[in-house]
Amino acid sequence: MSQRTEATQRPPARGRGAGYLGGIWDVVVLELKQRLRSRGWYIMLGIWFILTGLVTWLTWAAWNAQREAQRSYSTFTAPETGPGSMIFEVVLAFVLLFALLVAPALSANAVNGDRAGGTLAILQVTLLRPGQILWGKFFAAWAAALAFLVASTPFLIIGVALGGMTPGHVVVALLMLAVEVGVVSAIGVGISALAGRPLFSIVVTYLAVAGLVFGSLIAFGLGTGLSQRTIMANQAQYRSYSPYEPLEEQPAPMEPEYTCSGPLREQPAVHTDRVAWMLAMNPYVVVADAIPYPVRTSNAFGMSSPVGAIESISQGARYAMAGPDGTYPCANGEAKPRYLAQSTPLWPLGLGLQLLLAGLLMWLGWRSLRTPARRLARGTRIA
Amino acid sequence: MGLPARPGGPGADGITATAVSRSFGQVHAVEHMDFRAPAGKVTALIGPNGAGKTTLLLMLASLLAPDSGTITVEGLDPRRHRAEVRRRIGWMPDTLGVWESLTAREILTQIARFYQLPKAGMAQRVAEMLDRVRLSDLADQPARVLSRGQQQRLSLARALIHDPSVLLLDEPASGLDPGSRVELRVMLRQLAAEGKAIVVSSHVLSELDEIADAAVFVNRGRTIRHQTTDEAAAAGRRYAISATDGAALAAKLTELGLTFRVEDGRRAAVSLMLMNDDDAARLLRDLVLAGVPVRSFAPASGALEETYMNLEGERR
Ligand SMILES: Nc1ncnc2c1ncn2[C@@H]1O[C@H](COP(=O)(O)OP(=O)(O)OP(=O)(O)O)[C@@H](O)[C@H]1O
Ligand SMILES: [Mg+2]
Repeated sequence: MSQRTEATQRPPARGRGAGYLGGIWDVVVLELKQRLRSRGWYIMLGIWFILTGLVTWLTWAAWNAQREAQRSYSTFTAPETGPGSMIFEVVLAFVLLFALLVAPALSANAVNGDRAGGTLAILQVTLLRPGQILWGKFFAAWAAALAFLVASTPFLIIGVALGGMTPGHVVVALLMLAVEVGVVSAIGVGISALAGRPLFSIVVTYLAVAGLVFGSLIAFGLGTGLSQRTIMANQAQYRSYSPYEPLEEQPAPMEPEYTCSGPLREQPAVHTDRVAWMLAMNPYVVVADAIPYPVRTSNAFGMSSPVGAIESISQGARYAMAGPDGTYPCANGEAKPRYLAQSTPLWPLGLGLQLLLAGLLMWLGWRSLRTPARRLARGTRIA
Repeated sequence: MGLPARPGGPGADGITATAVSRSFGQVHAVEHMDFRAPAGKVTALIGPNGAGKTTLLLMLASLLAPDSGTITVEGLDPRRHRAEVRRRIGWMPDTLGVWESLTAREILTQIARFYQLPKAGMAQRVAEMLDRVRLSDLADQPARVLSRGQQQRLSLARALIHDPSVLLLDEPASGLDPGSRVELRVMLRQLAAEGKAIVVSSHVLSELDEIADAAVFVNRGRTIRHQTTDEAAAAGRRYAISATDGAALAAKLTELGLTFRVEDGRRAAVSLMLMNDDDAARLLRDLVLAGVPVRSFAPASGALEETYMNLEGERR
């Protein structure tokens, strides 16, 4: 008996790892062949391209109109920043929104659609392992969704070309968009392996995406309401602002621009750091926070404000994560860096949590694909 | 094909299920079923709708785990030798599942890849299988346009692509035209002659007489009878006789002391049980010599059908 086991258990000539990857690749090929032959996918891609183009053009036109208006009504000429940053941001937000809407449609019927069509069992009965089927479906769904990102790249590049941004921005933005789409695809594929009906899993995946986009904001909002605490802080003394020195000669603004003195007293504060992880799971926060921007110190007027939406989102989220200990003036008697100097990124936390969720769903999906199957989802047949 | 040497030993060939049970919630789809399909033989799995045939085949194909009981494929345990068992099993489901936008050739190629067949001979192997199921002309059409019977044949080719030694076919003849049925029959006999163990579930019992060496009758999740076709034939067969003069026929049969039943078919006929072909020949001669105007004299049903109907009768 043991002899036979030895003789028959050897895997085939291909190495084990290569064989596993080869199986995944075969499934990806099978899936993509089918997708590339469906007209709907091309139509969606076309609509997507036109829509993104339209949004880009509208943003540019709006910016132009605004500048014309400024020119004719005021003598004050705003510094020429170019529309780059704005177009980039609008297009980015739009692309992310639609990527989040498209990815579930492309992924959430991957497994149970096959189950309904009677083709899943045909895969399961071959030498393919459940992991290979699931990974194959995931990569295929991801690749199909990435095609949409590729279609929108020209417009992101236009955003950069029109000024203000570096190619690095596009690269990072595309990378993060790709990762976010991957997360949603993994969630979709995982749910599709768990749910019996394609319609149900697609709806659940959309709800999951809505949960990440809106649910995280609502949860964060409610969570902050529940995390009212106090903090020990003393008095902040702001340095006076010297308007008479010529602008150019003013020394580089100093951080922080206040000093702390006096006895520590209990002050009410919101411990946003406890609930910031919810905010971090928001795909917009993850993408915005990952895109680099220069550390801004106070500008000539002693005030500083984030430039553009991406920076605002990122700073807002980082501010929330730092919590009162890091942002409340003179908390624990220490002067804090200014609002805009929060430089601890929180996208790794958010992305980590998203990956955890996606990984969990994929793992559960993998369990339901194992054969011989012990438990079947209610009302499903293998064949 | 580089398969490892077949493990020897008695009972190690073919596929065996011992006391397998499987329930889905309240439904006991298979209860304590014993099943054996030896190599080189065609074993029929016969039973009414919902008897548990598909469930048993799913367990034999190692897609569904039995709640209890064991299954061995050529002496191997599917749980421990997953890949080895899969390589030996060809399974054709009763539901038609095809990747609609792929062509027949592409489908078979994909499946061949999933079975890790050597790349070198793959295209040739696929062409060979397409030829075997007469789909060569339609090989490059999307599977969507194939007719039901053609899809069924494609499904058979898919089950055979990796040259398995155990074939599990769930209602392979459904949807096939008479010509294709004969072809299927010939092919299955050929495959059995090559030494494969073949399991066929079917409702078309008259077909099975010609294909199957043995039959396992199941009902309500239990094996109720195991019978070889020869045994079934030996157990007697019902013959239907009709004559232009029904009264003369009845009189002669009564005279011979045979019990018969008057059938209420479209044409007046009687039927009776005869033990073997010799009995039949003798009776026919007696009737003709007695001047009964016999119009037809033929087996009323297949041997397996006879058993099946008897079992059905017992149930009521
Ligand atoms: N996944 C499942 N969940 C619940 N019940 C099931 C499941 N699969 C099978 N059953 C039940 O088990 C019983 C046996 O079903 P099975 O499909 O094995 O019958 P069958 O003999 O193949 O019938 P048919 O001749 O109609 O194909 C039926 O009563 C069926 O309703
Ligand atoms: Mg069935």
